[in-house]
Amino acid sequence: MGSRPPVRSREARKRWRGYVYVLPAFAVYVAFAVLPALHTAYLSLFEWDGVTLGEWVGLGNYAEIFQDSILRRSVFNALVLVVFFSFVPIVLGLLSAGLLARYRRPGMGAYRFLFMLPQVVPLVAVGVTWRWLYGDDGVVNQALRAVGLDGVARAWLGDFDFALVAVGLVGTWVLSGLCMMLFLSGVQKVDPSLYEAARIDGAGPVREFVSVTLPHLRGELAVAMTVTTVAALASFDIVYVTTNGGPGEQTTVPGLLVYRLAFSEGKVGLAAALAVVLGILILAIVYLINRLSRDRT
Amino acid sequence: MDSTHRVRRRIAATVCAVALVFPLAACDALTPGSATTVPGPTSVPSSTAVPDGDVTLRLQFADAPLMVDALIAAFEKDHPGIDVEPQYKTFSDYVQNLKLTMTSDTAPDIAQYAVGMTDLAADGHILDLAPYREAYGWDEAIPPVSLDQLTAGQTSEATGGRALFGVPAGLSMTGIYYNKELAAKAGIETPPRTLAEFERQLAAAKDADLTPLGVGALDSGGLHLWAALLNQLMPTDEYWDWVNGKKGATIENPAAVEASEDMIEWGRKGYYNESANGTAQVDSTAQFAKGDSVFLINGNWAAGQLATVMGDNVGFFPMPGELAGSPTVASGFSVSYAVSAKTEHPQAAGAFLDFLTSPEAGQIISDNGFMPPNPDAVKKPTGVLADIAEGHRRAVADDGITTFPDFAAPAMLDRLRSGVQKLIADRVEPADYLDSLQDEWEDHHGE
Repeated sequence: MGSRPPVRSREARKRWRGYVYVLPAFAVYVAFAVLPALHTAYLSLFEWDGVTLGEWVGLGNYAEIFQDSILRRSVFNALVLVVFFSFVPIVLGLLSAGLLARYRRPGMGAYRFLFMLPQVVPLVAVGVTWRWLYGDDGVVNQALRAVGLDGVARAWLGDFDFALVAVGLVGTWVLSGLCMMLFLSGVQKVDPSLYEAARIDGAGPVREFVSVTLPHLRGELAVAMTVTTVAALASFDIVYVTTNGGPGEQTTVPGLLVYRLAFSEGKVGLAAALAVVLGILILAIVYLINRLSRDRT
Repeated sequence: MDSTHRVRRRIAATVCAVALVFPLAACDALTPGSATTVPGPTSVPSSTAVPDGDVTLRLQFADAPLMVDALIAAFEKDHPGIDVEPQYKTFSDYVQNLKLTMTSDTAPDIAQYAVGMTDLAADGHILDLAPYREAYGWDEAIPPVSLDQLTAGQTSEATGGRALFGVPAGLSMTGIYYNKELAAKAGIETPPRTLAEFERQLAAAKDADLTPLGVGALDSGGLHLWAALLNQLMPTDEYWDWVNGKKGATIENPAAVEASEDMIEWGRKGYYNESANGTAQVDSTAQFAKGDSVFLINGNWAAGQLATVMGDNVGFFPMPGELAGSPTVASGFSVSYAVSAKTEHPQAAGAFLDFLTSPEAGQIISDNGFMPPNPDAVKKPTGVLADIAEGHRRAVADDGITTFPDFAAPAMLDRLRSGVQKLIADRVEPADYLDSLQDEWEDHHGE
């Protein structure tokens, strides 16, 4: 650090000027993101039906969350969805990137476009469409019956054992394309000479993937994991339009409960508390992902 | 950047955050809901005189827009000075915003009665119409049982009798539809007179390799079936006490256990359509119309569609009781309208509600596929609509129209739906299911 006073004060002034530039964006962020979040946290300390006078209950709502079996079940379901929303799409994405990375072909842009398609369809439309596909006479069952698997066909979204898997696969369908696209564009940044070098050294496809492709995708991997994990934990739209949490509580997720508690059951405080817990859980997991994927070289 | 700097900045940020939260917590005016005034119980004036001059009434509703438009047109012809402005919302949108809408300064003058109205009535956000019940003589025009569903469990301060927070236009009722052709194939000749006979018919249908009973349990078809069984087994007044949140009422009783056991038993015997839990009510109705099942649980709202598709091949009966002489008990409700406490024109609103009880309105209601409150005033329906009218007449005569069980608490619909899905799939003990309902009930009605 410099020791001469004039330099110091000029530096300080420069620093403050930086804050002034940030101020408009910061004010908007505070007004529309930070304050609402704090307000939610504040509401979580009340028992409030959304209309009449609320009653201060301190951390009572939080205690209720950890005791309620349905709420616990919903967190478990969300974690299962992480497998389908995050793990499977990333594996599929890596696989396709690994296969396509070794030999550059024209038309990669077209692939990226195709993979991107599920992203541009609104999730509610995706959910409604999949509800039809999974229905009694839907395409899934028609296909099963066509190959003689009549015994396997069922109303998938109404089946206690398969509903969560069925909902999860919708997420896989939506998010696999995103992961593939991310990884493919990541792979294209890799210097082709690295592959050549690896090949000259006698590396096979697996070795090439592990030693060249994967390390270069570290950044994309972190983004993909963050986006898909948040999508799983905060999932709402797909579940809401396909099963509405049923059958029983097999597909109930925290996002759905926040909505239900606040808007149809008149338990705004409890909903706010659940939203806070969900938010903290998501932040913790995102922090963990970023910590693990940080470049240590 | 050195670490002391970073720590100092973090401390500063924390202090800022705490400073922001503290005044919030300290200030009473920021307690959520403190801006809402609670007017307390209020009722309409005793005079029914409709004011002179032009009046505009805003009517917010969620069901049967065609019927509402026709009713408004007919009413405005009779009352040229009163202009009724309809505001349609989808049902879920309507119900979710109901409390906010009715407590706001811009509340509509007239609003369709829905689940949250009980609480709104208790806080005085909607008017007690009991004085009009007497002044207009609504007891003669409407079966009293339909009005008694709209008391919100309260006594009127104005008349000392039962309170009244809405006036019904169309009435609804659930029951069992049957496909006459398929029933004959299974050797079923007449609608069952007892619950046991109905079970034998379900078994006969199963033996004939047909799907006995279509249920759309993805949404509310399952709970309609459970309520229909409960209606036969549980004393009606005990059921009412529970739905109305009367102190000490409970659903954890032997009758409810039996109804739940029956539902499990029917599932084990394969009486339901295989994918009942994955089928919405509208889809179960469409499947029944195609001839996929012998019976179907649904309400009168499906009758128009079924009559169009199936013609004379479809019939209807209310769920039969334990004995041939048991009263006819069925769950049902009404498309009813309440009056906001904020309205400036309670008399004009009263005139509109009174119009709903007229024969002219009854015919419009009937033409739109609903049951008018006063069936004698309209043309006699035919086919399955006649079956429903007859079933409803019997239920009214036996004082046996009960409300839907989800009216017991705002969160009850979700508990019932998921719980009944578990009953159908044989995934829950009746006692545990009823315990989950009672927990929710105590959560809402407890002190």
